[in-house]
Amino acid sequence: MTSATRRVPGVAAPRPRPALRRLLEPAVAPLLLLVAFLLVWHVAAVALDSTVFPTPLEAAATLVADLGSSAYLAAVAETLLVLLGSYALAVVIGSLLGFLIGLSTFWSDVLSPLIYAVYSIPKITLYPLFLVFLGLGDVGRIGFAFLHGVIPMLLIVLGATASVDRTHLKLAASLRLTTPQLVRRIVVPSIVPSAVTGLRLAFGLTFLGLLIAELLGGSAGLGGELLRNVQLVRMGNIVGEVILITIIALVPTVLLLRLEHRATARFAGRATDAAPAL
Amino acid sequence: MTARSASGVPRYVRPRPDRVLGLRAPAWTVLIAVALVGLVELLARSGAVSGTELVPVSEMLAGIAGLLVDPEFLVQNLLWTVGLIAVSFALATVLGVGLAYTMWRARWWRRAAQPYLNVYYAVPTFALYPILVVLFGTGAVPIVLLAVAFSSVVIAASALTGFGSVAPSVNKLAASLRLRPGQYLRRVLLPSAAPDIAAGMKLGFVYALIGVLATEFILATRGLGQFISHAYITFDAEEMYAGILFVCLFALGANLGLSALLNRFDWRRS
Repeated sequence: MTSATRRVPGVAAPRPRPALRRLLEPAVAPLLLLVAFLLVWHVAAVALDSTVFPTPLEAAATLVADLGSSAYLAAVAETLLVLLGSYALAVVIGSLLGFLIGLSTFWSDVLSPLIYAVYSIPKITLYPLFLVFLGLGDVGRIGFAFLHGVIPMLLIVLGATASVDRTHLKLAASLRLTTPQLVRRIVVPSIVPSAVTGLRLAFGLTFLGLLIAELLGGSAGLGGELLRNVQLVRMGNIVGEVILITIIALVPTVLLLRLEHRATARFAGRATDAAPAL
Repeated sequence: MTARSASGVPRYVRPRPDRVLGLRAPAWTVLIAVALVGLVELLARSGAVSGTELVPVSEMLAGIAGLLVDPEFLVQNLLWTVGLIAVSFALATVLGVGLAYTMWRARWWRRAAQPYLNVYYAVPTFALYPILVVLFGTGAVPIVLLAVAFSSVVIAASALTGFGSVAPSVNKLAASLRLRPGQYLRRVLLPSAAPDIAAGMKLGFVYALIGVLATEFILATRGLGQFISHAYITFDAEEMYAGILFVCLFALGANLGLSALLNRFDWRRS
């Protein structure tokens, strides 16, 4: 029967055969892809005669060796600390400003084009300005990473606050809620799902900004270590450090993704239409 | 108690005002933008900020005018960068839509790759740049590779959303007409997904722009990003600000132009 039934495009295929069933379990397929990727990497590195390019095992070994050195660990700790600081700053200020502006539809319309314009500027071209005005040290780094994270957070929270369902506002009016009560009981729960999405996106962008600032500034943190390895062309160390950066980026992201699913399920808020697939 | 008009309607539910202090919203936007530009001009001209740190906006614009008639700038930097952005964007679009199509066709491939697509932008892709430079040198190849890697994923994600938005009745019609996959792609899938693909392309363009400029800034021998980097290193504040302002205006103009072009394919906006 199945062979005679034409498959309709876009409609899910009928019940899968038992042999393929395991492939369809959620975690298995991505893991298999990862393993396949590592295999391809290994084969390619061996084929290229891995003097230039390390195999996955070599890179992992170099990373473990690096993590044994206290200077390297100090650099990692420093980057993480600065990342947390600038991320916290970006998220708090971004959400506060976005919230305050979003409360007024008129001022959202006035300020949104300007903020979107700043968002679409390649911020790395503004990097010299940070160096000029904030100096080569920590403040410049924090400021640059902060700028990367604050704008998307602001835009997302602004969009969410401005698009609170008008029916809910009318309900609040008919219940004679004061503005603080409105904020506490209606506005804040409405914007929580979008805000959590903003948290996740802002993290990735803040980390990116910080790494670029360290790579260009060249003296401190993970980016500085990366620059040193680039200058010495120590490919094993470079690849090992990229793996470390990936892990540092992914762990909070996965946790924030879970938080996002919980927040969306609990508050049944709208999907993040405030800012498309950032 | 909250502020109330005589009618008793609280402020948060009153309709959006058309004018504030006599001006409509767009007028306020322009006013604020002009005020900021004026502030920068004032700070620079009055000497409150030194000449090596800040340059008046009028001088920035004069610098841009000077750069636009300089043939070396036009060829070495502007055309080179614009060319790289165009190539990266085109490749990223093809790759992104192609990847989305393969994911849409093969269920297991989609389940395998979808989580990586979701978290892709959390990982700083620029960390790969040193590896690419070591492998391919400092020419156009690593720049294009990185820009394509950076921008194709958002296009793929948007295209995937668009492919999934075809109405079931349309799919059944396609099946009853026995459309081959190629016909289905061309006549049903792509037109139906066009608005989402257009939205993805707008973002992808921004990312391609950022990718090319950032990599040129970090390490390159020519291009707009390298121009700004070089001007900073040689303490040439006027050239640097001219370059920065030019890049900002170029980015804004290119985004607006592309949006206007892509909105023609967005059949949801009537």
